[in-house]
Amino acid sequence: MAALGRYLGWALFGLIAAWLLFIYVPNLLARIQPNIPPGFVRVENGWVYALGGLLVIVGLILAYAWLVTFIGNRRAGRKRSFWPLFGQGLTHLFMFLVLVFAYYPVLQILAASFDPRNTLYRILPPASDNLLVRARVIPDFSQLSWENYIKLFDGFVLYPYQAVLLTVAALCLLLVLILAGYRRIIGDDQSDSRWGRLQGQSLTAFALLSFILVIFLSPAQFTGQGTEAKFMLWVRNTLFVSGITGILAVLLTATAGYAFARFSFPGRYSMLLVFIFIQMFPGFLGLVATYILISNLGLLNTFTGLVLAYSGGIISFGTWVYKGFLESISKSLEEAALIDGASKWQVFTKILMPLSAPMFVFIFLLQFVGTYSEFIVANLFLTGVDSWTVGMGLRNFTTGQFSTRWGLFAAASVLGSLPILLTFYGFQRYFVSGYTAGSVKE
Amino acid sequence: MYRSPPGARGFLIAIGLLGGALIAATLFGLLMFWALQAAFPRPIDSAYPGYLILVFATLVLIPILVLLGRRFPFLTDWYYLLPAITFLLAFTVFPIILTVYYAFTDYTGIRNGKPDRSTETTIVRVEGRRLFVDGNARELLRCDQPDCAGQALEITTRTQRARMRVEQASSDTITLTAPPPFAPTLVYKINEFSFIGFRNFVEIFSRAGTVLIPVLLWNIIFAVGAVFVGAIPGLTLGLLLNNKNLALRGFYRTALIISWAIPVVISVQIFTAMLNVQFGPINRLLGLLGAYPIPWLTDPEWFKVSALLISLWLGFPYWMTATLGTLSTIPEDVYEAAKIDGASGWQTLTGITLPLLRQPFIPLLLGSFAFNFNNFGLIYLMGAQPGVEGRPSTAQAADILITWAYKTAFQADGGQAYGLGGAISILIFFLTVAISLINFRFTGALKEVR
Repeated sequence: MAALGRYLGWALFGLIAAWLLFIYVPNLLARIQPNIPPGFVRVENGWVYALGGLLVIVGLILAYAWLVTFIGNRRAGRKRSFWPLFGQGLTHLFMFLVLVFAYYPVLQILAASFDPRNTLYRILPPASDNLLVRARVIPDFSQLSWENYIKLFDGFVLYPYQAVLLTVAALCLLLVLILAGYRRIIGDDQSDSRWGRLQGQSLTAFALLSFILVIFLSPAQFTGQGTEAKFMLWVRNTLFVSGITGILAVLLTATAGYAFARFSFPGRYSMLLVFIFIQMFPGFLGLVATYILISNLGLLNTFTGLVLAYSGGIISFGTWVYKGFLESISKSLEEAALIDGASKWQVFTKILMPLSAPMFVFIFLLQFVGTYSEFIVANLFLTGVDSWTVGMGLRNFTTGQFSTRWGLFAAASVLGSLPILLTFYGFQRYFVSGYTAGSVKE
Repeated sequence: MYRSPPGARGFLIAIGLLGGALIAATLFGLLMFWALQAAFPRPIDSAYPGYLILVFATLVLIPILVLLGRRFPFLTDWYYLLPAITFLLAFTVFPIILTVYYAFTDYTGIRNGKPDRSTETTIVRVEGRRLFVDGNARELLRCDQPDCAGQALEITTRTQRARMRVEQASSDTITLTAPPPFAPTLVYKINEFSFIGFRNFVEIFSRAGTVLIPVLLWNIIFAVGAVFVGAIPGLTLGLLLNNKNLALRGFYRTALIISWAIPVVISVQIFTAMLNVQFGPINRLLGLLGAYPIPWLTDPEWFKVSALLISLWLGFPYWMTATLGTLSTIPEDVYEAAKIDGASGWQTLTGITLPLLRQPFIPLLLGSFAFNFNNFGLIYLMGAQPGVEGRPSTAQAADILITWAYKTAFQADGGQAYGLGGAISILIFFLTVAISLINFRFTGALKEVR
């Protein structure tokens, strides 16, 4: 039976592959019109040159590997094959190509953000000797300027005390980065070492200072004319909403996860099922209903309303993940504490909460990152440029009623993705471990 | 009762007590709110904010809970769940129930059960059940029926509002079915929606051949395809980077996560610009290799290919990380044993590494499938789609169920047919449940909980 199933599987796979190869792909190719729009550079049989170049590089790697191994073998008087070295060279070549693929959009957006000419839809090719630049495969870096960025900060008034806070926060962040680099060099991976603690403290200081800044930044400080001059206000709004939503997510899921993991009340299993299945309804299709609710509560166009609308989203997943995390912790310490007369609440706050910090960070970050780039719900609940979020602003640049403001979109994207990039790379460990911990149990 | 009664009875008692407390608190909040409004009336354009209900409800909920906790100590276990349950009820369950209800109505952007502000009509005089207006009442109110019979209206003064029904309307008089509770100054028509049974579902299934089936089919192909175009390159990269002798592997690993770290709202929009037929850098690059401009976003079939291409870029870092994470849990001595037994690199890969990866990968694959099945962000952010003949503008070439539902419910060209959108949501819900049940069956997640 199993063998039959396997053959059937392969037969199905073969059929699909044949369909793809002989029917679908020719059909796709037939849909390409063989005409060349103005300004488009086409090199007949260019792929032959590209493939040839690639083969030359492979040949060079082969020669290098052979030579190095040959000399090494000569010197040490041993006999080793050069194939592993060749394989590594090929891997590096492959990785280089993957890096190009992964970073190509990033390069394009960076280049566009420094280009004041709104380059996306321009017919005239840039004047350059380089074929790649002329074909606009590689962006033209001949005219770099900060113009797009300056537009985003136009008319932004920073009060002196805020400037001081900002400087201190930046210094804290710098210290964190330096310490992270230094600790990696000296191989210090203990979080309670001297440097580790200092790093943790400066990170906390940075978070607190940023929070204060976010709270005290007001719309009155943005005096620029265009909508784009409000960009920093949108960032502030987004950070505020995402931060509060993240904290709320932790508060709501922590006690629920604890109860599911440690208590055995009747109905625990049914409640868990309810939590899971509620999550499967496509959340934002309840939007009109949520809208009616928030509007009846008089919270339309307020951040409170938006936070409340987001709050339901992560409860199930967060509870589930946190429950799994707690179940992986031994109960012995808690049992000892319970025998000594501690209450359940004390066990939770004194013993489990300190242990759960990584999971709380994960839940917070997950909700933070998710909320940061959300724009559908925000679009419905917030009106008026002053309360937009980054996602809404970016969407406005590309679907604006007059034209696509590509340069501004690029500059705003670069600045707008920085907070998320920093959090992601800074807390990579939490993301990876949180996802795998959650997924194993999911 | 110090200990919880066992079994279903204990569960029901707890749920009953908690639900009772929540309902009592909400009712109290509402009563307080109405009392406040009645005692100190405020003009309706600056009425008391509705969230006061929540404030009052919370104020009374806390003492109720403390008292209940004293009387039934076992209930305190449930208090740990209460914040999560309350928020789920208010902001997830309640909207779901309302959406399910709307799925059986003809609720749209116009027929939304709200007073239509454009029909504002001034009342000059009130006599018993009759309201006198300045002008032709039927034209001012734009009724559905010629004599406005049965039409719902909202009547207001500066501080009061009420809903009434019309018995009939003549040129300058509106006769209500009952005398108004106060002397109104303004009147509005209410655009009512009505219960239409299964008509929304009938509409979906009657056009299944042109809309539902193609969309569902593409939805499944997209979800499967997105998983594979992410997982296979990610797996390859993970296997390559697992080579301990490879220099720079830490760098590659960190650098390649970039597309996971950039917010989707940004990266998808960058891609749509890069895939532009005439100006996009991707076509420019292919042009240098000898290709003619590919209609990535203007041809229905190529649009689908583009969606999968973007999925590849977005998805591979996750799979690379997952592969590396799983591989790091395989003990080194397994490989050493294989080496001693003289296994080749290929044999090690197919005989040891891949089989060991299978078990942890099944839940990840299914989870990823479920995610991509409802991957709204990607498809929606790719923007306007090329049209396909015979299909509505809300369900074009690459639209999946969830974008179809969204566009039906919220976009002007779908007529903001919220009832119909709700019906599609219910279909999505059942499909998601089915996928998840398969998921749970494979991973045994539910067994473990029990």
